Amino acid sequence: MKKLLVVCGLALCFAVVSNVTFAQCNADALSEQCIGKLPGGFTFLKSFKIDGQGGAKNKVEYSYVFSKDTQYSINICADGEPTDGIVVSMYDANRNKVMTNYINGNFYPGIQYPCKATGIYYITFTFEGSANHCGGSVLGFKR
Amino acid sequence: MRRYFLLLLVPVLFLSSCGGGQDKSKELLGEDLLKEDSTSDGDQPTISQEVITDIIQQIPSPLEISALLKEVGSDYDRSILNDPEATSRYNSNYKKALNLGIYGTDLGYTNIYERNQDAIAYLNGVRTLADGLSIGQFFDFGTISRLAAQSKNLDSLLLITTKNFNSINSYLQEQKRSNMSILLLTGGWLEALHISCQVLKQNPENQQLRDRIGEQKIILENIMLLLSFYGSSDPSVNKLTTELKKLKAVFDQIEIERIYEDSEYEVVDGVLVIKDNSRTEVKITDQNIADITRITDEIRNNIIS
Repeated sequence: MKKLLVVCGLALCFAVVSNVTFAQCNADALSEQCIGKLPGGFTFLKSFKIDGQGGAKNKVEYSYVFSKDTQYSINICADGEPTDGIVVSMYDANRNKVMTNYINGNFYPGIQYPCKATGIYYITFTFEGSANHCGGSVLGFKR
Repeated sequence: MRRYFLLLLVPVLFLSSCGGGQDKSKELLGEDLLKEDSTSDGDQPTISQEVITDIIQQIPSPLEISALLKEVGSDYDRSILNDPEATSRYNSNYKKALNLGIYGTDLGYTNIYERNQDAIAYLNGVRTLADGLSIGQFFDFGTISRLAAQSKNLDSLLLITTKNFNSINSYLQEQKRSNMSILLLTGGWLEALHISCQVLKQNPENQQLRDRIGEQKIILENIMLLLSFYGSSDPSVNKLTTELKKLKAVFDQIEIERIYEDSEYEVVDGVLVIKDNSRTEVKITDQNIADITRITDEIRNNIIS
């Protein structure tokens, strides 16, 4: 019976902690904060919420039609560390990888992408050693 | 001891059921992408909200086209826009939503060209239609009007209006009113196409504009897909779909060839800059352009009349 009590106690702690963790991800606020990180000259287009639900979700994906001869900027914001292990990768419609912000072990919080090929692109957020699995991202453009 | 056990078990079960409920429903949505919505009231599509949201968010902002028009050197021309004082003509939610999208694009166009007085006129039109659709609360009209009064506030003005329209789209989707969101986006897209075609008449050899018009084939395919989810239950949407099919028939003749090559990168002042080595080539004829311009005008005239 004691063992059962310990298991139940641990389960209770886990339930409380996991609920608290999910509640702490304020991806909206991080996205809003990230608008200010767009480099000068870029016009805001969209924000993306990155909520990995405390690690329960390993990928968050969005898509957008990018146009050629337009320069795009994707910026990531997270609590604490600049990107907190959030990796953004972009794939074209045929799932060819076009870019990532995680290169040679470095996470870059901002990527500029001068698009040369119009089409649907998938913007995928994953996590590499992330503490909070929570962030926000914005997309801007300039001509 | 049994009593203590029960005291511990109850909150565990309670917390598990409270916290996990939302996640479970999300999983189900993901699994049941194509199943009929059991709560269907006749207006709901037979596809999940998640899929609809995914497709809606792909549709690019009409601001991108307005920025291109300014860049190619075309003069501001209010005569090609919808009348901002025509709101009294739009009595149904269908017309309000489509014309709200049209006004949204016109507002973006006036903003990009820094025509502040015109921007305020379109803002008033947006406010009337948004209020009519019970989504006026998402526009901070006081702030927007103040920003519009001075041209130096262009960046802030573009930011706040884009955020307001994004909030409306999110809200409509959360409220399971995606059909309104789709009409809003369709109106906005159609107006951007109409403005592009009108500007091209003045600069018929401009390759960037020709390509951009041809590339709308990709967007139209998405819009047709979205409308197809609602067409069978909504006669107005069905009629719009029929009209857009004529436009699609012309776009189907246009070829977009994509040549993929691996991209490269460099780091400039701590920012990763990608060098895209892929490219697309758009094959569009003068006849295609003429047909697109004519059909777009016909559809738009039916919407704004």
